[in-house]
Formats: sequence, C-alpha cells, structure tokens
Amino acid sequence: MAVTPISGIMNAAGMGSIAPVTPSTTAAADAANSTSGVGNAFSQALDSLQGTQNAADALAQTAATGNLTDIHNYTIAATEASLTTEITVAVRDRAVEAFNEIMRMQV
Amino acid sequence: MSMFPAFDIASSALTTHRIWMNAISDNIANINTVKPMSEAAYQEKFIVAREIPSAPGQPVGVGGGVAPVAVQYGDATGTVTYDPTNPLADKDGLVRRPSENLGDQMTNLIIAQRGYQLNLAVIDRAKSSYQQAIDINGR
Repeated sequence: MAVTPISGIMNAAGMGSIAPVTPSTTAAADAANSTSGVGNAFSQALDSLQGTQNAADALAQTAATGNLTDIHNYTIAATEASLTTEITVAVRDRAVEAFNEIMRMQV
Repeated sequence: MSMFPAFDIASSALTTHRIWMNAISDNIANINTVKPMSEAAYQEKFIVAREIPSAPGQPVGVGGGVAPVAVQYGDATGTVTYDPTNPLADKDGLVRRPSENLGDQMTNLIIAQRGYQLNLAVIDRAKSSYQQAIDINGR
C-alpha cells in the first residue's frame, strides 16, 4: 500500500500553504523493502511465530510416538514458541496502546 | 539464526553431553564383556567434540556451540586374563577383558552430568532474561 503524503492546506485566509509531509529517506527505503511498514512487519512476526509453534508441535508428536532422541529439543522448542508468543502479544499490546493514545488526542 | 541464540548454543551442548553420557553408559555396560583371544577386546569409546565456529551474521567471537564430530576407540588388546573355565577361553585358558577403568568412567559420568546441568542452567537464565526483556514497561 503506497502512503500518499497529506497535501498542504491551500490558501486558507491569511495562511501560507503548509508543506506536504514527506517521508524521510530511511522511511522511504523501508517502505521500498516492505510493502507496508508496521502491518508487514507484524505479519512477518506472526509467520515466525507460526514457524516456532509448528516446530514445537512436530517435536511434541515425536515425543508422543517415542521417536524423540533429545528431550531438551522439545522443551527448548516449546520455550521458544512460548517466548515468541509473549513477544508478539507484547508488540500487539504496545501497538494497540499507541493507537488508543492517538485516538484519545483532542482535536 | 534464531531469535534466541543462547538456546541454540546451549542445546548443541546438551546434545553433545547426552551423546557423551551414552558413550560412557556403553563403556560401563561392557565393563565385564569378555572376548576370545581371536577377537579384539571391547574398546572404550571416546567422543571427540569440536566447537562450532560463529555463523555469518553472528557477532565476531560468538560461536555456535559444540558438536560431537567423531568416536575414538581405546585399546583393542584389552587385559588378557587367565580364565580356563570360561567357555571363550583359548587352549592356554586366556580371554580378553576390556582395559577400561571404572573409576575413569564414573568420573567422566559426573563431568558429563555436570556439563548437562550447567547448560540447562544457561537455558533457564536465558529464558528468564528474555522474559524480563519482553516485560520492559509492561502492564
């Protein structure tokens, strides 16, 4: 999704036009790498979360079928999955918090 | 590279120590294995471990842990024992017993167990550290 800059307010009485907001060069480079900043980053994080969960599930299956050679492989994978979930939830909480903070702004 | 590199490194060490414990277990299991003189005695097994060099993208100097790379075998002559009643004894009444030393095996077992426990402690600490990082400014 391309973010179009906000166009300047034109010729209000007594006011010059405000220069449009231009994204900084680094932000533009980030936007070029990923189609949409926060949303894309978040969906990538969810993909990696799904990956860790799948790895833990696969190892849980080998544990249940008696094919697990290293006990710690499963417990570490489960810990990684739980930590990744915690991170994702923390990121979501912060993002929602920031959004709510902006929505509470007096206009 | 995973998001939690300390886990991967400690996990490689846990695997290595587990394999070492397996080898020690095999050595102790065969401590009384008798072989005829025509065969090699039970050879003590040694696990050769190597460090894993740092992966690309890792900070310089931080390696990837440890990996077992080979098994080496002890003395094949064994301890030649005079035991004429043994069904495996040759015409001179000799058999081969393993030359391994139970004291060494038990010492190695303690070292392997302690190494395993150390790496479990690393995982425990790493987990609580990561968790505390997640909880920064949490509500």
